[in-house]
Amino acid sequence: MTSASFTRRGVLVATPVVLATGALAACSTGGSSGGSGSDGGGESGGTLTIYSTGEEMSFDPASSQNLAITTLGLTARRLTAWKTAAGAPTELIPDLATDVGTASDDGATWTFTLQEGLQFEDGTPITAATIKYGLERSFASELTGGLTYHKVLLEGGADYSGPFSGEHLDSIEAPDDLTLVFHLNRPYGDFGWIASTPAFAPVPEDSGEPETYATEPVTSGPYRLESYAPGSRAVLVRNENWDPDTDEARTGGPDRIEFALAQDASVVAQSIIADRTDAQASFLSSFVPTAQLVQAQNDPNVGDRLVTSGPGALEYLALNTESEALQDVAVRRAIQYAVDKQAYLTAKGGEISGEYATTLITPGIAGREEYSLYADDPAGDPDEATRLLEEAGAGELDLRLVITDDQTGAAEAIQQGLARAGITVTIQPLDENAYSSEVTAGDGTGYDLVLSSWQPDVPSPNANLTPLFDSSQIGGGNYNLARFEDPEVDEAILEASSTVDPDEAHAKWAAVDRQILEQSPVVPLIYSKNSFLHGSGVENFVIGEFPAYPNYLTVTLNA
Amino acid sequence: MIPALQRVARSLGVLLVVVGLTFAIFYVAPIDPALQMCGKPCSPEDLEAARGFMGFDQPWWVQLATFLGAILTGRTFGSADVVVECAAPCLGYSFQLHQSVTELVADRFPVSFSIAIGAVALQALVGIAAGALAARRQGGLLDRAVTGVSVIAASAPAFVVGLLVVVVFALRLGLLPSGGYVPFSEDPLQWARHLVLPWATLAFLNGAIYARLVRSSMIEQLGLDYVRTARASGLPERRIDRYALRNLALPLTTLIALDIGALLGGTVITERIFGQPGLGALLLDATSTADLPVIVGTTLVGSLLIVLANLGADLARPLLDRRLAAGGGAPRGPAARTVPSDQNPQETAS
Repeated sequence: MTSASFTRRGVLVATPVVLATGALAACSTGGSSGGSGSDGGGESGGTLTIYSTGEEMSFDPASSQNLAITTLGLTARRLTAWKTAAGAPTELIPDLATDVGTASDDGATWTFTLQEGLQFEDGTPITAATIKYGLERSFASELTGGLTYHKVLLEGGADYSGPFSGEHLDSIEAPDDLTLVFHLNRPYGDFGWIASTPAFAPVPEDSGEPETYATEPVTSGPYRLESYAPGSRAVLVRNENWDPDTDEARTGGPDRIEFALAQDASVVAQSIIADRTDAQASFLSSFVPTAQLVQAQNDPNVGDRLVTSGPGALEYLALNTESEALQDVAVRRAIQYAVDKQAYLTAKGGEISGEYATTLITPGIAGREEYSLYADDPAGDPDEATRLLEEAGAGELDLRLVITDDQTGAAEAIQQGLARAGITVTIQPLDENAYSSEVTAGDGTGYDLVLSSWQPDVPSPNANLTPLFDSSQIGGGNYNLARFEDPEVDEAILEASSTVDPDEAHAKWAAVDRQILEQSPVVPLIYSKNSFLHGSGVENFVIGEFPAYPNYLTVTLNA
Repeated sequence: MIPALQRVARSLGVLLVVVGLTFAIFYVAPIDPALQMCGKPCSPEDLEAARGFMGFDQPWWVQLATFLGAILTGRTFGSADVVVECAAPCLGYSFQLHQSVTELVADRFPVSFSIAIGAVALQALVGIAAGALAARRQGGLLDRAVTGVSVIAASAPAFVVGLLVVVVFALRLGLLPSGGYVPFSEDPLQWARHLVLPWATLAFLNGAIYARLVRSSMIEQLGLDYVRTARASGLPERRIDRYALRNLALPLTTLIALDIGALLGGTVITERIFGQPGLGALLLDATSTADLPVIVGTTLVGSLLIVLANLGADLARPLLDRRLAAGGGAPRGPAARTVPSDQNPQETAS
């Protein structure tokens, strides 16, 4: 999903929002002000149009990588949900469950109790068995592609291939209609957050062929799918069996939500900037394209209809620790000083595009500690870099920087920064797919440096650090792009992720953050900000501290 | 009829080569469809399972044979209890969209068809008229205007023209919708209203080629002996024009046929800018989500349409030119276009 100050790679891969359904993807807003419109309350009724550049949509939770607060959240409730508010960290709140889960067995067993009286759109009850079935579906070969954090955690998950052959996963117990017990293969403190990912949505067992569910879902959220024309439009209307009193996460404001698909972001942005009648009750789900961003900033009529998030996803320079030139930690540390983050941010569009980053855990995530291990000046310290390189006896460094082809300006900023310390950088722009095959799926021989970005799938430090630095996440389509392998770090990650008490876990994660950065596998560059546009009829367009996307579930229209 | 059969056989040969080359995309393209479907995070077991399910764990010749066979007889992915059926003619299956590529193409084809028919009609009409008028008044104001505009149109990038058209006619003046598609069967008037801007944009970009072709050929024709003789014998000018234009029928038919073929295959940029869910938009989206089966399938269909259009034009030639029907030599003309696109280098058809 490809845009503004964010790399397309970032949108498509590193953020959870994207994949096959463009409409779900790449929609983020945020306002430094936390969004426009009043908080809470808001009118009910009207038709909200969400413009999307994507062609197709899928409403199947099993294959979705949606954030908890975007498209799929409108139709599919999960065990837990997120509460976002401007200027406040995102909170984990109960959704279908009565609480956010109770850990026992040191965190290796998690129990949830469902609220009573919950119903699907067709009036059938939402039971523990339907959630178990929904989760089991996510193991089936034909329904892959979603968020799979639960798959490696649930006992027996590795050998399970879905419910369609009549087999069930015993580690998910549904002893009665309202109780769910999950048996994990190890203690895991963040299971409450994991329970907010799409696969934890209920699916009735008689929901038809698995492959048709994507366009014929049985919904549990405030809306049901009335019609869907690929490449054109998806229409959501009220689900009369959704009870707002049972739902803390959704306000169900508009009577009707229409996704206008296959839109050109520039054309839509122009419409919204002009606040045309047909664009007033609408927003653009993707980032505002650069040209329109400048236009919107300078147009007094736009005002707070342009909403920019606070600092969000981490954009970073990964240093391939397997590359011969970068195996020495002293050389990697020198690069921390040589990089010119100021030039990088300028290349990305300046202040509206991000804030300087010095840590790995991103802002808005509970447990993050602000610190700076290396150069305090964002422009870097080339003298210190040169000194460190000499000390390490590094000799001539000629490094290959692989980027997606929309990142040339930013890559040149890196190139010039490193040149100040005598490091030669050769930039290799690749098309997105080639980048993916060379970098995430490659064997690591194709690059020394890589520009990438990462937005966690859930607001937990675990989701910041494990995917990027655990040694199990090297290659095979995963995101440890520095190919960083440190047994002590692996152990520290395991220890922190096993900790159930939030305060204790946060302290451990903050320590892991430093522990990793001391080994300098990546250079944190900026925390990027996303800008979004909405029409004058839209209210409660709120971006919390995490994620840097608007909360679709609470948007309302004014009367 | 023998030459006609030869042409059909040659087209089939071309198609087979196209199928082979298209299939090679699976191997040449830096995309692993299994990886796309592996989920996040992606475990090695999941990746292997996805490869096996999609059939990518087979040797390439087995995959090619399966691919070709599927076009004729359909195909089943997976085994045992978990299967996905893809009915014949199966051009592949999109595991991202949970739909067969044939169905996806069939869904999108009416849109590209609507765009192509209107655009080709408009561009041929406007282009031919402008070219003929310019040739008639060679060196005059109108001629210079037509030549100038056609140079601009032929060199303007489609995305710039498209965006300008949207901004002026839809956003500023509010005359027409900025995008969207309404099926003809639902509301013919709205169907046309939503298509006027894409038609006009394509006609502007592509009509230039017609105008230039007709202008230069007409000037050539009007300088020939038969025209002088006709004039000398007192034939009205309008009648002379008709004769001259008739001699352009052959190259123009070829041009129109190729344009139809190319536009039917989808216009990537025009469809995207005007929010038209046609084959071009499908291809563009598949490219951005690395949905390889869809990329391969739409490319194949696009090529098929161009081959068919070429064949159609070839077969129509003898009907348009009696000399050919009588087995005479091939006519020489500016019709031999080798690049089957919708004319503008920036707006390539799939």
